[in-house]
Amino acid sequence: MNHTMTLTIQRVEGALIRALGLIERRGFAVTSIDASADEAAQQMKLTIQVCSPGRSVDVLARQIEKLFDVRSVAHVRTNEPAVQLEESMAC
Amino acid sequence: MPVYDALLDSPIRHVLARHEQGAVLAADGFARVTGRPGVCMATSGPGATNLVTGIANAFMDSVPVVAITGQVPTPVMGTDAFQEVDIFGITMPIVKHSFLIRRAEDIPRIIGEAFHIATEGRPGPVLVDLPKDVANTMTSVPPIFEMKSPDLGRPDPEQLALACKLLQEAERPVLYAGGGVGMARAVDAFREFAEASCIPVVTTLKGIGAVPTRHADYLGMLGMHGNLAANKAVQASDLLICVGARFDDRATGRLDGFAPGAKVIHMDADPSEISKLRFADAGLLGDLRVTLSSLPTDLSIEPWRAWCAERKTDHAWRYDAPGEGVYMPDMLRRITEADPEMTIACDVGQHQMWVAQHCHFQRPEQHLTSAGLGTMGFGIPAGIGALLADPGGRVLTVTGDGSIMMNLQELQTIRRYDLPLKMLLVDNASLGMVRQWQELFHEERYSEVDLSDNPDFVEVARSFGIEAFRVTRRDQVDAAIKRLLAAEGAILAHVCIDPKTNVWPLVPPGETNDVMLEGMSA
Repeated sequence: MNHTMTLTIQRVEGALIRALGLIERRGFAVTSIDASADEAAQQMKLTIQVCSPGRSVDVLARQIEKLFDVRSVAHVRTNEPAVQLEESMAC
Repeated sequence: MPVYDALLDSPIRHVLARHEQGAVLAADGFARVTGRPGVCMATSGPGATNLVTGIANAFMDSVPVVAITGQVPTPVMGTDAFQEVDIFGITMPIVKHSFLIRRAEDIPRIIGEAFHIATEGRPGPVLVDLPKDVANTMTSVPPIFEMKSPDLGRPDPEQLALACKLLQEAERPVLYAGGGVGMARAVDAFREFAEASCIPVVTTLKGIGAVPTRHADYLGMLGMHGNLAANKAVQASDLLICVGARFDDRATGRLDGFAPGAKVIHMDADPSEISKLRFADAGLLGDLRVTLSSLPTDLSIEPWRAWCAERKTDHAWRYDAPGEGVYMPDMLRRITEADPEMTIACDVGQHQMWVAQHCHFQRPEQHLTSAGLGTMGFGIPAGIGALLADPGGRVLTVTGDGSIMMNLQELQTIRRYDLPLKMLLVDNASLGMVRQWQELFHEERYSEVDLSDNPDFVEVARSFGIEAFRVTRRDQVDAAIKRLLAAEGAILAHVCIDPKTNVWPLVPPGETNDVMLEGMSA
């Protein structure tokens, strides 16, 4: 199952890798990322597609929300049929 | 170097450990006893990497620790400079949060935030990496020592109403208490609810002491090495009230067969734990004290309570092991009967499970155990931390012949600071828990578990200037307990037991908690 999430993170050292690392460590594969910066707010908006191994994406969203540099997390949609994922080992 | 130079003129008390892992595990033990953050420092490179196991230990058990590491100067960071490691990156998955300070004027704010984050909500370790040039810079920004008191809030009213309904409809409820009860300082609220509702209580390894272990409605620890009565009650329950626990695999056994007929009320400070592993019919976030005091207690569960009491009688521990050798479960039980207020810091392995099963505790912070990570080497540093937290207290480290060798150097810390740590070394001349699994699940093919070439531990302790004696027979146990408890300074009792002794009962890996192997050997 593929999911699309949007994250707003503070642009501080480690914030990006912390969020992406958590997603992979919790067993999800990142299949695409789109990032844009909001210079004025010192924030970055990420639109991330993740492939779930059958775990709850809502629990993942709450795990990401706990990160101190993350300002918001939204699980915007679930895509079906699944996006092709050829090389990831996670799914 | 600049920090240690400044310490010479500072009122901060510094304790020099002999290995950075000893320092971080002592900080962890201090935090478990006091509920306040334990602080440790290490130099860059190997000093920082030696903290990693202890940081992971604090992360897994939700313990507030602030770890401060030195770092090479900012101009050479990223150039593979001498003793440079990316400790900020290395520890990212095992910290609650971390900071790399690049400007001296940020130090007061970041240190304040580090202490706040370590303690608020679900506690955890925070790493602060401090480059040498930043530490060498003078700043006029005032220090921030004010810590906001965390406000965990109240549970959602709809979920609370649902939980109340589930409670009133339940015929066979069980309270399943985890480490969160103690960490949230919710012991009084938990006991008031348990007393008023008369719901039988089981605990996780970290939850032990949520109610006194002699309480009539306490059934024991659940899970892989839990008490049969506790596991049977949970498996037969129709409502599981999980308070500050996280459905860890050692507690649940095979998850799809755990409490199969039960609905679940899950109370926690951490929103990401609700429905992580087991769907919560009612999820109650927020302050456990507030939540527990909002639940109904006028339940009609007498038949169920009586059924649980019968199971408790049926499966009471037996101490009539045959033989002349020391039966460690009995020795441990008798130590805590002789001194019920003593704090026990455990190492990891068979002796850790015997402590959990057989020792008596009045409150959770009396039982310091590495639960989530299972860190061999935890016991002695944690005992040191407990004594630093409560210099007048009585602290016993129960360790094994495998575990003690993992932080043996901290015996010198005990000697240097004259810490009256009591140590019970349970020596089965093997890595006993691994040996047990190889016996039971690998057709007695023993691989790398024999430790019969151990050093003479009595001589080792004496060489550090620590009183030590050996116990090999059951008829020596009474005198050994008296000597151990009466000692005014540090003391080590080296107790040799049968290497073939196993921990019972046991839920085999991959099985549900309905399947418990039983046995007794001594």
